[in-house]
Amino acid sequence: MSDLETGHFSIDDLENVQITIGKIVGAIEKKAKEEGVEVGPTPKPGISGLRDWDYTLLSRYQPVYTPVCDQCCYCTFGKCDLSDNKEGACGINMEAHQARETLLRVITGAAAHAGHGRHILHHLIHLYGEDKPIEVGPSNLIAPNTQAVTGIKPETLGDLEEVMDYVEEQLTQLLATIHAGQEGAAIDFESKILHGGMLDHVGMEVSDLAQISCLGMPKSDPEAPLVEIGMGCIDSSKPVLVVIGHNVAGVTNIMDYIHDHGLEDKMELAGLCCTAIDMTRYQTDQGQKPQAKVIGTLAKELKMIRSGVPDVIVVDEQCVRADVLDEAKKLSIPVITTNEKIMYGLRNRSKDSAADIIEDLSTFKEPGALILDFDVLGEVAPELAIKMSKIREEMGIKALPSEEELQELSAKCVQCGACEMDCPDNLPIMAAMRAGVDKDFSKFEYLHDKCIACGRCDQACPKDIPVLNMIEKASQKLIREEKGLMRAGRGQISDPEIREEGVNLVLGTTPGIVAMVGCSNYPDGTKDLYTVADEMLKRNYIVVMSGCSAMDLGMYKNEDGETLYEKYPAKFLAGNLINVGSCVSNSHITGTAIKVAAIFAQRNVSGNYEEIADYITNRIGAVGVAWGAYSQKAASIASGCNRLGIPVVVGPHGSKYRRALIGKPYKEDDWKVYDARDGSEMPIPASPEFLLTTAETIEELLPMLAKNCIRPSDNNMGRMIKLTHYMELSQKYLGHRPDDWYKFVRTETDLPLAKREELLKILEAEHGWEIDWKRKKILSGPSMKSDVSAQPTNVKRLCKEGC
Amino acid sequence: MVDTTKNTQIYTTWGRKMAKPVNPNVAGKMIAKAKRPLLVVGSEILKDEKLVEKTIAIAKKGIPVAATGHSITALVDKDVDAKYINVHSLGHFLGDKNWAGLDGQGPYDTVIFLGHKKYYLDQVLAGLKNFTDLKNLAIERHFMQNATLSFGNLKPEVHLEALDELIENI
Repeated sequence: MSDLETGHFSIDDLENVQITIGKIVGAIEKKAKEEGVEVGPTPKPGISGLRDWDYTLLSRYQPVYTPVCDQCCYCTFGKCDLSDNKEGACGINMEAHQARETLLRVITGAAAHAGHGRHILHHLIHLYGEDKPIEVGPSNLIAPNTQAVTGIKPETLGDLEEVMDYVEEQLTQLLATIHAGQEGAAIDFESKILHGGMLDHVGMEVSDLAQISCLGMPKSDPEAPLVEIGMGCIDSSKPVLVVIGHNVAGVTNIMDYIHDHGLEDKMELAGLCCTAIDMTRYQTDQGQKPQAKVIGTLAKELKMIRSGVPDVIVVDEQCVRADVLDEAKKLSIPVITTNEKIMYGLRNRSKDSAADIIEDLSTFKEPGALILDFDVLGEVAPELAIKMSKIREEMGIKALPSEEELQELSAKCVQCGACEMDCPDNLPIMAAMRAGVDKDFSKFEYLHDKCIACGRCDQACPKDIPVLNMIEKASQKLIREEKGLMRAGRGQISDPEIREEGVNLVLGTTPGIVAMVGCSNYPDGTKDLYTVADEMLKRNYIVVMSGCSAMDLGMYKNEDGETLYEKYPAKFLAGNLINVGSCVSNSHITGTAIKVAAIFAQRNVSGNYEEIADYITNRIGAVGVAWGAYSQKAASIASGCNRLGIPVVVGPHGSKYRRALIGKPYKEDDWKVYDARDGSEMPIPASPEFLLTTAETIEELLPMLAKNCIRPSDNNMGRMIKLTHYMELSQKYLGHRPDDWYKFVRTETDLPLAKREELLKILEAEHGWEIDWKRKKILSGPSMKSDVSAQPTNVKRLCKEGC
Repeated sequence: MVDTTKNTQIYTTWGRKMAKPVNPNVAGKMIAKAKRPLLVVGSEILKDEKLVEKTIAIAKKGIPVAATGHSITALVDKDVDAKYINVHSLGHFLGDKNWAGLDGQGPYDTVIFLGHKKYYLDQVLAGLKNFTDLKNLAIERHFMQNATLSFGNLKPEVHLEALDELIENI
């Protein structure tokens, strides 16, 4: 019998009959065998497939639960008080419930990315067909997350459908475990959290592979163009069309319409959040100029709307404020929703003519419309913006208070403190109000960068003072100057780049990768990102950006008027600054680590997740930073990094994720691995100390980053470089030499070169180490040996036979 | 005498087991009686020199200090027993009865918090409240509902006055 293949078949004798074969049992294994690819032990793992690996991680990095609420109110047995780790009516205790709550957030985030992925994949298959090849740059390993997890090596858009089938099925299984009367052990919820995070990176990868392949986005391009960013770069004298969200599918039709009708110079097209990033990637892979501007992050949404500048707002999905329609209505700005995930109760006008929709919205018969037909959307949005611009100008729309009104509003304040207490960052609003009475509005200006524009102050004020509008009005000069440059998202790191840099990362001579990802809920303003990135870049770390962090980094300039994107090159090399792209491009960060294992170390990648994760855990000095993490997606992204052994630090607001994974450096037994050469146990440094934790300030964060890039595989030069940065950053930002520096020393050549003699003296005097002063060598003292041939592994089965 | 027990309004989170409001003289005596107290100081002290002074004054009473964030920068060379530690890690270690403490002298029984971001400390305290039997005393400007005992919501000048009274009673 001949082998069946997937595809569509007709049978000659039967008219109007077509047989479609979608999937063939064992096809992955068969295809891999034909291509000589060895499939590892866990292609498409189920919930328990990688449980042993999770348990290994969780034995070193224990969950730390910090509940946001002491109750469980999931079912009608309760509400149940779980304080002091009590059990509720269903038998679940506080620990397990907190783990369950975390799981819910992680799979919510993963579902947001996967839902996005499925939507854009369907859309692009509809436009380009299932056989459209995946083209993401000069790489053979084009889908590292997908391949490591599922064993599938996708080549076409159609191949990605099977990947999404797997992700969606697993997410459903995970969601089922949230139900009352399911899982009861915190440790297994933890394993499920890591599973959800892993799935998230596959879903994100599918999204970005599909859009890069079809939408002309940069393909592993270190020369991706620079893009204008900031509220100040919007020319409000032109009609302004603002797009908000994450899914660029429909927006590309708008961009095509603007281009085809020569409207580029006649109107402004600008975006907020990741749709903005992907708009600027659209059709730039052949060196074309970006066709849109970036306003900024979620933190700019309310400020932008309340400025009254947009003439039309188009929203798609994710990180879009729930009150966009209400806020826009107040300023006569029509809103168009374009995705089933956000419809705001608007009438579906997808089958109506563009002319009818424009007429109804421009005469305010309806405040907005749901348009799911992107051809209709493409015409309506720009034409409506042009029309509304004139109408709104004639109406004399007034958005923000005048200076006189600012003073009057300040005087209305009774200094009750409700706004400050409700402000997520407890910002000093009362002091600004006091100064405002005397026409000193500088304290409102001070609040501008620190404020995340959530609007809770407005809601809290018993006098109905529009606090946010006052901050925005007082900061108009600053806002006008908010003009920066961001490098457009370049997509994944290519195989040749990995070949060039992989060895330096594994040996530590490139001190590490600092991946600054996530949202804009910063504890102390956006400039902190710049400070962290600049400090680490100066020290030759590779800094990788994505999503909202990538945007905010472009807002600041140094004394020469340069942004960091202009100052630093964008290759995958030490001291380079990379923007991989939007939220879904985060998969390229984990993908990079997987590629190092697969390409540099020649580890089998297909369906071989545990071995790959084990390699990364012990050898790749990478730390994620989600300084302004607020979303469920950030939680799932971090969890996906964690399953690969990549630690993540979130800002202090991240403590509200209610669970961290932190090790105990003082428990020596927790810091041992096997040497795969003979299965013997070997001690390792307590780094990374955590898989997920928080830092209080960037001054605390900076030495944490350097320390947690240390890995067992560092050679002496690498360890010396990493230790030097850790000690210097501690001295610079914490004012002292760290207490634990000597624990990372294996031999005298690990010591920072400039201070070697001084440190040897300290080792002898304070720690009792024996030093040969003639040769300046350490004779005894270190708890670890320096052995570059050692093969550290956490997985016993990876040791040589007989171990 | 400062009354620090009046305003205990909370704004965001909820739990049935809440901190009891405490006056500074009582809090001071409680610290004095503790066998193994630990003062956990956050980076917010750096925003007010007077808070740094109060911190040093408490530490000079012989209370060891866990300096979180970058608060250690105000405490080096001040002749106090202060060590840097990340507050999230500290919360984890405090729940481990086998942890020998920052100085190797054994576990703590009373933990005092000063100079932290309200929302951040709220989370750390939520962990300690639910998973340890430590006495947690918040001498912050804001009412910390997840502590065992806490000052209420205070204006900055009243807070400083309360800290003076607390120091007198240690």
